[in-house]
Amino acid sequence: MSVFPKRLMTVAGLLSAAALGLTACGGDATPADPTPAASSAEATSAETPSEPIDIEYMHRLPDGEGMTTVAEIVGRWNAENPNIQVKATKFDGKAQEMITKLETDINANNGVCLAQLGYAEVPEMFVKGLTMDVTAEAEKYKDNFGGAYGQMSVGGAVVGLPQDSGPLIYMYNETEFKALGIEVPTNAEEFVAAAKTAAAKGKYIADFEADEAQNWLSGQSAGAGAVWYSAVDDAWKVDAASDQSMVVANFWQELLDSKAALTHDRWSDAYTAALVDGTLIGNIAAAWEVGFALDPLDTTAYAGQWRVAQLPQFGDAPMTGPDGGSGVAVMKGCEYPAQAMKFNNWFNTQVEDLASQGLVPAAAEAAATPEKWSTQFGGQDVMAELVTANKNLNADFAYIPGFSAVGPKMTEAAAAAAAGSGKVADVFTAAQDASIAALKDAGLPVSEG
Amino acid sequence: MATQIKTTPDGLVYRPSIEDQPPRSIAPSKLAQTVTLVVLGFVLLYFLLPIVWLVIASSKNNTDLVSSFGFWFADNNWAFNWNSLMSWTKGLFPRWVLNSVFYSTVAATLGTLISVACGYAMAKFVFPGRRALLVTIMAGLLMPIAILTVPLYLLFSQMQLTNTIWSIIIPSMVSPFGVFLANVYADSSVPTELLEAARIDGAGEARIFFTMVLRLLAPAMVTIFLFIFVATWNNFLLPLMMISSDTLKPVTLGLYGMMSYFAPDKGAVMLGALLGVVPLILLFLILQRFWQSGLAAGAVKG
Amino acid sequence: MSTQAEAAPVRRRWSRQARHQMIYGWAFALPFFLLFLLVFAAPIISSIRSSLFKMQSTGGGLFGGGERVEVFAGLENFIVAATNTSFWGGIGRVMLFGVFQIPVMIGIALGLALLLDSFLVRRPGTWRLLYFLPYAIPGLIAAIVWGYLYVPQISPFADAFGTSGGQPFFLAPGIILASMANMTTWTFTGYNMLIFLAALQAIPGDLYEAARIDGASGLQITAKIKIPLVRGAALLAVLLSIIGTIQLFNEPTVMQTLASWMGNDYTPMMMAYNTMMGQMTPSGAGPASAVSILMAMVAGVLAVIYALAQRKAD
Repeated sequence: MSVFPKRLMTVAGLLSAAALGLTACGGDATPADPTPAASSAEATSAETPSEPIDIEYMHRLPDGEGMTTVAEIVGRWNAENPNIQVKATKFDGKAQEMITKLETDINANNGVCLAQLGYAEVPEMFVKGLTMDVTAEAEKYKDNFGGAYGQMSVGGAVVGLPQDSGPLIYMYNETEFKALGIEVPTNAEEFVAAAKTAAAKGKYIADFEADEAQNWLSGQSAGAGAVWYSAVDDAWKVDAASDQSMVVANFWQELLDSKAALTHDRWSDAYTAALVDGTLIGNIAAAWEVGFALDPLDTTAYAGQWRVAQLPQFGDAPMTGPDGGSGVAVMKGCEYPAQAMKFNNWFNTQVEDLASQGLVPAAAEAAATPEKWSTQFGGQDVMAELVTANKNLNADFAYIPGFSAVGPKMTEAAAAAAAGSGKVADVFTAAQDASIAALKDAGLPVSEG
Repeated sequence: MATQIKTTPDGLVYRPSIEDQPPRSIAPSKLAQTVTLVVLGFVLLYFLLPIVWLVIASSKNNTDLVSSFGFWFADNNWAFNWNSLMSWTKGLFPRWVLNSVFYSTVAATLGTLISVACGYAMAKFVFPGRRALLVTIMAGLLMPIAILTVPLYLLFSQMQLTNTIWSIIIPSMVSPFGVFLANVYADSSVPTELLEAARIDGAGEARIFFTMVLRLLAPAMVTIFLFIFVATWNNFLLPLMMISSDTLKPVTLGLYGMMSYFAPDKGAVMLGALLGVVPLILLFLILQRFWQSGLAAGAVKG
Repeated sequence: MSTQAEAAPVRRRWSRQARHQMIYGWAFALPFFLLFLLVFAAPIISSIRSSLFKMQSTGGGLFGGGERVEVFAGLENFIVAATNTSFWGGIGRVMLFGVFQIPVMIGIALGLALLLDSFLVRRPGTWRLLYFLPYAIPGLIAAIVWGYLYVPQISPFADAFGTSGGQPFFLAPGIILASMANMTTWTFTGYNMLIFLAALQAIPGDLYEAARIDGASGLQITAKIKIPLVRGAALLAVLLSIIGTIQLFNEPTVMQTLASWMGNDYTPMMMAYNTMMGQMTPSGAGPASAVSILMAMVAGVLAVIYALAQRKAD
């Protein structure tokens, strides 16, 4: 036992040797990279390279039954562009896990060229130095895309092109509404009145979704005209608990207090149960929910009875807010950003294919309403309604780096509000506090005043 | 229970014990057997009811899942769920199951061997660093695997091993728990005198290990094999990071992928999971033989 | 004179034997040890290293110039984690969980193993398979199953329990730990039973024979031979359970999707994971590693306390 320290030293020596090998290769967090501006300028001249190049694209589109798969779409591109070959990889996990993988890969100089990113994640990825400034390239394709183009820009730098958007809309069962004698509510007062009428008959035209609080409630607040994050003297000004947010808070508080709304989490089976048994007959939803929300009703008596309408007006003008949606960004270390952007533009303008994946394409050219949607929504031109919602998006609503850390605090507060142990207003004050904490943690300037 | 009576050469009458049956002196009463059966039956109900639910649920669509009684069938949608499973996995589902069988079998075989060797060494050899080794391996268990997956991924990515079968097999092989179990087991069931005797007979250490020790440790090896096999089968965080080719994915990752979308066909996912359990049950039945061998007892007696 | 002459060859033989033991001891241990260094030690050391660093933006402006560097942070990440009340709240929860869940699970597992190892049961193989089955169901599928069984609107039985504090019974703050304990017990009892069964198989048969000759009954053999001899396995099973409990993650993550009120830091491991995934503030690999290391230290201390208490009881 007397030699124990010596033995320990041997083990420690071995271990640290292993660690050294690790840190020597991976420790350098900021590998020198070509300056973005230079590389895009260079690449522009070589838009159609003479030698075939490979571009990797990581996505998490569903590729489900009856959809035009990403592999099929990319296959068409590859056939037409023998010199710009794209390899699409589907990531089988959650968005946040994909970001962790992207971050690890890029820091190890081993990243993909193009990756799907949620709009709310774009600033965070930019701050972490994981995206590339491709403004010059993006400008060429700007006209092919609608208002969501701005979602891919961070502090003046454009990092990619938008793919789909998720404005908040209202979905309801038209037949049930008629039976109850209520109209589609166009503002908060009408909504509360209709909800109370329906609740008296055991029907609910709204569901308070605590698990979706992050994007769902911030989106409604944006619909009321709020701008949570803005720049004042080169510092962030956080205004999540503004008067506009309180309009939304009071609206839901009244619905909850009068028990005129359900409180099932959006992704809970209780929600599906309420939908299927017909107690839930209306819901404020993101546009992309249209693609699958009614699937459980296909075999029930309620099939074909639902319709899409605009979000009730919370503020001074008809306006809605963003709830999700994502774009395709060029990642740092991409060797051929110009060619990557060329594909990016082509891919994200294949609107019919993207719509088949259940997306509301962000491209300027509108897709036709997919067959499945018009069946489920009783022949309505759903896409036209969604395009209107897209146009009504609050254009000034942007996200901060670290918004991912804000959501869970909002969810916690929203769950308390749903259970009656808290208030809906707390959700927005929680967002305010969590936003400031996240910005400070990232070492970014915050103006508190 | 046929009772044969034999007589020893010196004239004593005895009932020889029959394999798998207790000597009469300690044979339990019928009552004790019945009580045991009832107790085991109740416990079994607890373990099996959720699985029964799962089997029934795998035959339902999303609508029936929330609107019909959980412990009975609604419309049979097995065919529909199977189609949906195949469509979501682009026809690769059978391939993914085979991938999983391959990863789990290789990882469990190699992992069992190195765990048993290490556990045996720590139990039966006196060498410098033995305690430190034990403490180091124990300490390795203290850090949560999920947190280590990202640095491990980075390491494998530098060794250019990501997106290869080794990126799954190598990490899955290393089971500190297997070493401990082998250690505890070797301690009590590999008699030192037996090793000494073999050495005196001139047997080499490798031969002793492969012909004698492995046989003595069979029940522990079956257990370790099974644990590594199942753990490899069920791990999705590791392949999620390591694997990007569709053709290399294991089945649990595929199911995780289906579940991480908004409106998964849950019946199809559950059907996939159940079909994934079938190879496990087959494996269990195959391993059964080695378990009951009870070689340890026989060898020591001899 | 004669004693000296005898001692010398003995010592020489001993040292040759010692060398033999050392060479072969390490030879058998080496394959595992090398892979252990690769798969466990290296990532752990890299984790320890990153726990001492943090990422900082280099440029100015709203987005920090889009560049970050790693700067040495000393013990800052540890101080932040250790002074975070929700970390210790989480530790308290998992300890409360373990105090009840571990004895119940280990007790049932040991009981089942002893019954299956006794002569009371025919076809122990079938029972063994059926009890082990829950462990073979992937965690993400078990999550769906319990989700359906716990949520009142769809569960065949949860309705009968009503609500507690505005939440469905199984998902209510005072009950949820027990709901998770049930999931853990369901999954891991069969697993622990197998550990015990393996240990019971290792008991040399001549011990039983000797006991039988002395006229011991089945019950006596169980109490006097089997239980004492599975102590090594029991120690192992309990240590593993203690560590597993401190790292409790799957069950609370599942429950969180059913009960949003739980937040992202209900258990220390959830806190570590969500910190790593950027779902909490502070976020990133550094703070996440610090949380994990603190957690590992707590688990280590508890494991050592338990092992020492066991040794004292011997």
